[in-house]
Amino acid sequence: MTTTAGLPREVMGAMDARLSMPYTLTAGAATGVFLAELAQQRIVGTRCSACETIRVPAQDFCGDCGGDAHDLVIVPPSGDLLAWTVTDQGTVALVLLDGTDIPFLHQVVEGDPAALSMGARVTAVWAAEPQGAVMDLMGFALAPSEPVHAVEEAGETATPIEQLNYQMVLDYQHAYGHFYGSLFDGIKNDRRIRGVRCPSCRNVLVPPRAYCEACFVRTGDWVDVPDTGVLQACSVVHIEFIGQRVPPPYVYAEIVLDGTSTRLIHTVGGLSAEALRSGSVHPGSRVQAVWSDRRTGSLSDIDFFKVIDGPADE
Amino acid sequence: MGTDMKNRAAVVGSAQTEFRGAWSDRQHVDLITQAVSQALLGTGLRMADVDFVIDSGSDFLDGRSISNCGFLGAMGAHHKEESRVEEDGLWSAVYATTKILAGSGSVGLVVAYSKSSESDPRNFWSTLAEPFTQRPVGLDQHSAAGLYAQRYLARYGIDPEALRAVSDRAWAAASDNSWVDAKHAMLADPYWEEFVATPLRRRDMARPVDGAVALVVAAEHVARQVTNRPVWITGMGSAIDQHFLAARDATSFPAAAAAAANAFRMSGASSARDFDVVEVSAGSTVGELMVLEAIGLAEPGRAMDLYAPGSAPGLNASGGSLPADVVMATGLVRLHEVASQLGGRSAHGPTGATTGLAHGAGGIGMQNHCVVTLETS
Ligand SMILES: [Zn+2]
Ligand SMILES: [Zn+2]
Repeated sequence: MTTTAGLPREVMGAMDARLSMPYTLTAGAATGVFLAELAQQRIVGTRCSACETIRVPAQDFCGDCGGDAHDLVIVPPSGDLLAWTVTDQGTVALVLLDGTDIPFLHQVVEGDPAALSMGARVTAVWAAEPQGAVMDLMGFALAPSEPVHAVEEAGETATPIEQLNYQMVLDYQHAYGHFYGSLFDGIKNDRRIRGVRCPSCRNVLVPPRAYCEACFVRTGDWVDVPDTGVLQACSVVHIEFIGQRVPPPYVYAEIVLDGTSTRLIHTVGGLSAEALRSGSVHPGSRVQAVWSDRRTGSLSDIDFFKVIDGPADE
Repeated sequence: MGTDMKNRAAVVGSAQTEFRGAWSDRQHVDLITQAVSQALLGTGLRMADVDFVIDSGSDFLDGRSISNCGFLGAMGAHHKEESRVEEDGLWSAVYATTKILAGSGSVGLVVAYSKSSESDPRNFWSTLAEPFTQRPVGLDQHSAAGLYAQRYLARYGIDPEALRAVSDRAWAAASDNSWVDAKHAMLADPYWEEFVATPLRRRDMARPVDGAVALVVAAEHVARQVTNRPVWITGMGSAIDQHFLAARDATSFPAAAAAAANAFRMSGASSARDFDVVEVSAGSTVGELMVLEAIGLAEPGRAMDLYAPGSAPGLNASGGSLPADVVMATGLVRLHEVASQLGGRSAHGPTGATTGLAHGAGGIGMQNHCVVTLETS
């Protein structure tokens, strides 16, 4: 292990990452009916049994008084435009549908937004092919001569839509910062693993960081760390799962690189199923990184660790 | 003091990183350690003296689940009690203060941070909205602000162009605040004139920035030892409005008024006019006006008067959240500002101030509000 001076010639900047999570959202009774009825070009609201407030979309609870007793009502597809705002996602609008007490948040579609005025009469515009979602009602359009219609009792309503498939996709560019940037630059270009030493507890920390968590003091010298170490704990993985990088069986392991006091999570590979069954990988096993042909500047530039013989390198 | 508080809690230290449009060469942990280590400086307190850590951040903004677990070390929470509040950091300060008043600790560290430059913060805002009928029709922080603005301006007969006085004043104040990278001259770029949610332009919207803020709250016996100018927390209140924007009041924030009323009941104040220093948060210029009216600094429809040249010198002397909005932290930044100004640790704000009010907001279209009042003597 050697102490190194100076900064690396290049520090890697940022890592692209994406979180993509599938959901099956449960709409609940009232919203489920509201969504289902849009296919029939009917707008379903609720009339609160306690305070008589009529709101749309239909809700299981009254937002004003908290009551959960209500009747479903059919609200006319016409109303007054209360407010709108033109955005890059369309003209988002509040429409007070005829006979209701709470405005309905949706969009104004068709026509020039410059022609809109507060209080203008509007009427619903329906999608040609309903999908079972709120955009089956595409929005509202100006309808100056549209008469005022009345709210009606709902009577028989469609089966509520129980679940909505939803995919949340969020993209990130995570900054590495100086410490991770230096580590990953060293891994990518020099196959060199770098840590920092805490001036208080003298521990060597990998990945490197500005502060030692345990002492809460600023770290000191950069330290080159060998790619050999000791396996501290391990688990043999036999199952397959989404996102797996190597086919099972393999060993998921905590590895303490020589001279460091931190545990690196990686894999031990290059072993037959028989070798794994016979327990040839165990806490205390000496391991060494097997570097990949790839140079991505991440810990996956190490394909896996292999078991080696010999004493710890101090 | 209004109600009977047996114990007292004070802000004894606070610090922030510089707020920048993008800290592209720093991780969250780097910003957090910078703010936390600075907040302790000058108090004589060491990390070992901190009993607990309360922090605010967003998993969605951070791009990882339970992100506080990864940031514990940076917050000095190693082997300490730690809690995450998934709301603006001002709520974390209320949590920490409540713990101290209840006697469950003597020194609490409050931390809030975000790096919205690492993702599109509009995605974060839309994730707050109900996903069946609200998110798909385009509800986010911009459209919510636009709908409030159109109705507010129409109701009070205010020309949208008059809102320039609000953003101009905020950015001019930020230009004098060395902790914020915003400069008033930046507004000359046509980018800030684009309409993003009519009648609001980009210059009317809070500008997301990266940064971290940390604040040390201490019980009276500690506060008196570590500083000769403790800034006492005299009142706290929060209140939340309906989730459905359409069901809320069109031109006022009753939840902000309720939050302020709670805080005033504790501190014995009658309105925000009782305070020398006021720092409020807002997602837009019109949002800021509505907050000022809700807390009683102006009559309904009259908050624009506060932006006349020379008026309200103690209002958002830092520039407020319009030029620099550290999402999830902006309210705690306001508390840091007030505490720094009252504690004689700030380069800006009126001289001789002894009382102050900090306001924070959260949720889509500023659904949630929190008010904390402070006093030094
Ligand atoms: Zn009701
Ligand atoms: Zn240490």
